[in-house]
Amino acid sequence: MSAVAPLEVRGLTKHFAQVHAVDDVSFELRPGSITALVGESGSGKSTVARLLARLHDPTSGSVLWEGSDVSRVRRRRDALRYRSEVQLIFQDPFDSLNPVKTVHHHIERPLRIHKMVPSGQVEERVHELLRAVGLVPPHEIAAKYPHELSGGQRQRVSLARVLAVEPKVILADEPTSMLDVSIRIGILNLMTRLKQEHDIAFLFVTHDLASARYVADDLLVMYAGQIVERGPVEEVLTAPLHPYTRLLLAAVPDPSKRLHAERIEGRRGQAAAAIDPPEGCRFVSRCPIAIDVCSQVTPRLVEARMQHSARCHVTAPERTS
Amino acid sequence: MTALMEAPVEPRTHTPALLELRGLTVEYGRARAVDGVDLDIHEGEILGLAGESGCGKTTVANAVMQILRPPGRIAGGRVLFRGEDLVGKSAEALRQFRWLNVSMVFQSAMNALNPVMRVGDQFVDAMRAHEKIDKRSALKQAEELLELVGIDRRRVRAYPHELSGGMRQRVIIAMALSLNPELIILDEPTTALDVVVQREIMQQVEALKQDFGFAVLFITHDVSLLLEFADRVAIMYAGEVVETAPAEQIGTDAQHPYTQGLLQSFPPLTGPLERLTGIPGSPPDLRNPPDGCRFHPRCPHCTRDNSALYLRQTTERPVLREVAPGHAVACHLVEERNA
Amino acid sequence: MSQFDPTIDLPLAAPPARVSGRVRVPGWLVLLWRNRKSRIGMLMVASMIVFALIAPLISVAHPNDFNLLATKQAPSWHHLFGTTDQGSDIFSQVALGARRSLLLGFAAALLATALAATLGVTAAYTGGIVDDVINFFINVFLVIPAIPLLVVISGFAKNRGMWTMVLVIAAVLWAFEARILRGQALSLKSRDFVLAAKASGESTRRVVFAELMPNMVSRIAAGFVLVFYIALLTDAGLEFLGLGDMTGTSWGVTLYWAQVNSTVLQGEWWPFFFPGAALAFTVLGLVFLLAGIDEISNPRLRTESAST
Repeated sequence: MSAVAPLEVRGLTKHFAQVHAVDDVSFELRPGSITALVGESGSGKSTVARLLARLHDPTSGSVLWEGSDVSRVRRRRDALRYRSEVQLIFQDPFDSLNPVKTVHHHIERPLRIHKMVPSGQVEERVHELLRAVGLVPPHEIAAKYPHELSGGQRQRVSLARVLAVEPKVILADEPTSMLDVSIRIGILNLMTRLKQEHDIAFLFVTHDLASARYVADDLLVMYAGQIVERGPVEEVLTAPLHPYTRLLLAAVPDPSKRLHAERIEGRRGQAAAAIDPPEGCRFVSRCPIAIDVCSQVTPRLVEARMQHSARCHVTAPERTS
Repeated sequence: MTALMEAPVEPRTHTPALLELRGLTVEYGRARAVDGVDLDIHEGEILGLAGESGCGKTTVANAVMQILRPPGRIAGGRVLFRGEDLVGKSAEALRQFRWLNVSMVFQSAMNALNPVMRVGDQFVDAMRAHEKIDKRSALKQAEELLELVGIDRRRVRAYPHELSGGMRQRVIIAMALSLNPELIILDEPTTALDVVVQREIMQQVEALKQDFGFAVLFITHDVSLLLEFADRVAIMYAGEVVETAPAEQIGTDAQHPYTQGLLQSFPPLTGPLERLTGIPGSPPDLRNPPDGCRFHPRCPHCTRDNSALYLRQTTERPVLREVAPGHAVACHLVEERNA
Repeated sequence: MSQFDPTIDLPLAAPPARVSGRVRVPGWLVLLWRNRKSRIGMLMVASMIVFALIAPLISVAHPNDFNLLATKQAPSWHHLFGTTDQGSDIFSQVALGARRSLLLGFAAALLATALAATLGVTAAYTGGIVDDVINFFINVFLVIPAIPLLVVISGFAKNRGMWTMVLVIAAVLWAFEARILRGQALSLKSRDFVLAAKASGESTRRVVFAELMPNMVSRIAAGFVLVFYIALLTDAGLEFLGLGDMTGTSWGVTLYWAQVNSTVLQGEWWPFFFPGAALAFTVLGLVFLLAGIDEISNPRLRTESAST
């Protein structure tokens, strides 16, 4: 276990006008581990990643890097230092690369901006990075333009670009959802290998529970801007506490369900960010086990089992002392 | 050269074939997006058509509806609906055919709704374009259809932006049903939707199918979805059908290496967790596909070790052959194993 | 996105085509050559450039030489385009006028485009107060009526030389382009690759010049050509009215004198025809080029079939 202080998020909140995109989110990213942030579209998970990448400023809360709050940093030098340690990979492989620039350009720029290697060694380092993500022969690939590569290859280029600055944290915002199914595994395996070889802390944002299970160590479930459950991935998936997690698990297509399919309840409700939400649990309109207090008091994230917490009055009630 | 089935695969249910594709070939300029496809859809069945990007599945759907955009054109083969070939029919005949006999829900069709028209009015437009019906009755039907797909009938006065993505998709499906077609083509209807909404919609489609008895051609890249909801599944790769089988059999007894690789690409949600490999490489450029079996450059069973087989794999296009009742595979290796 | 989608956009910023052989032709040149309209336009403008370079070397006389013995002469071998009422050789005037026009047009286009692109894109990407300030200036310049301003400035400027014209025209036209480019940059700035560059730590200057602008080449090029021919027409127009630099040699001045001396009424068509034709030919070439650029940038305008 390395001694580097982790990236910690405390009470992170982001409101866009009246839309509560992210509300009171707290977690930490540890080196050499992959934390999956799972949620439906609009749940706020991408916003969390972008907040950590400092593409937005939070409305309140803090992002602690090596002890100090980076969310308020203004000086270019400090911002640059943070950017060299925490990097972001985007969802759309077609859009995250500049169409009129070569692969070489994309990887060379971060090397130069952060002065990672002396000028003379840049080209060699670009080739090394391409090899590290499985893009060979490197000199051929480096000369190509994005439209000459497949989706999977483009995501690998994005990974190579991110690795160029030798970050301690990589935020992967749905890196595989726009790729062909047979290509996704390759990218997920690459992420696992990078985590092991370089001790990187990954935040893996996804809506796909199965992918989360495949690569992640810890799981965070988001609903309407809040974290509703968290814990080690196997634990959460085999013994889910929050009704929403259970709903997600029931909804994933499963061939063995053919014969005895349970109809899931089609109640009203959306996983998307709430607009000016009132007090009370945001899942209450869809919840099969809601009780009176659920629509009155917003539940808190409570540790119901060892390292496994949920935000639910019924399954993870607060212990009143 | 077409990949013909040796003999038409007999459906287990013995219902008549509603739609038959024989040697369908579609070209876009120099590239063959669909090359010699044979497919059958029977009354009341859900046929899943699965494959990854560029395999030609959407092109097949567009060819059936005869809505290919130039430079796309049908270069060969037949599209038989109840025995009548649609290729070469007049524009007017096709217009009648569409929507009445076959209707289609496109990918991200929810974005195809006119943003400045109320939902109900769009129903009325669609219906009146295809049959003589007055506005009031059409609107009433629209309300009923909305209820059928699980939307409050008062929403008939809503504008598209007032509905969620899932609801808009349901509206589109309801519109596709409005003229009671015998076949509905759904092209990636749930890809842009959340997994919970996806399940609700799939359940709705199943229920409607029970009530109305239409057949469904369900196109998706998500094989796991088909394994749960489809009756039969056909797998496409690089413009060809490589395997067809009843849905249960595809899941447990997939024979084509591509199908196996594809199924291997879905990490399991339950059960033991092992390292998966996916399928190395990428789909071929259809302007210049590989000789012989199109999958051979990526196939783990194509090695020079077995030189006779290797020769066939690299020079001869495999043909769909039945290996079990209702289960056909186009693969030299499978052929040799069964020989 | 299917690889067979014929509506895929191919902007002028398309990367170089890999041409087999030793010569690597820039991609934009290949695109411009393939499109019929821009090919014609390029050839027309190129031939005028060649004319401007070579013709003054082979002209018989200095353009403003007065040769009272050879006034009002129709085109002949000695005076290819004839002579004016003062006996000046029209061929020389048109040839030197070509040099001036092309230089002026190019300079005005360059200045206006540089201003418009830099200010427009920076305003869009930076946002905030910088955007507000630049926007304010764009609006001010847009509101000022161009022609009256030009007339007033050229009427009152002490130095009416070519460079004054360049400045004036650029000042009048930059705002129009700037607004358009700002709009385009606004739609680009939230694209993932721009955010990725920002997240990598790229400075604003580099994002504007190295990431955004290369993706806007079609529009910038189109704006450049537009300003070019508007500048030509404006300059010639002002001189024709007697408001430009009347001591220089240019198409407009030749036309002015032709008008003033009512040459056509006397049956002398050549003092009007040749400078007018030269101007029309050049402007037409630029218009073709612009139409070609538009077609390339917007596949829906293409009249030829897609090359896939």
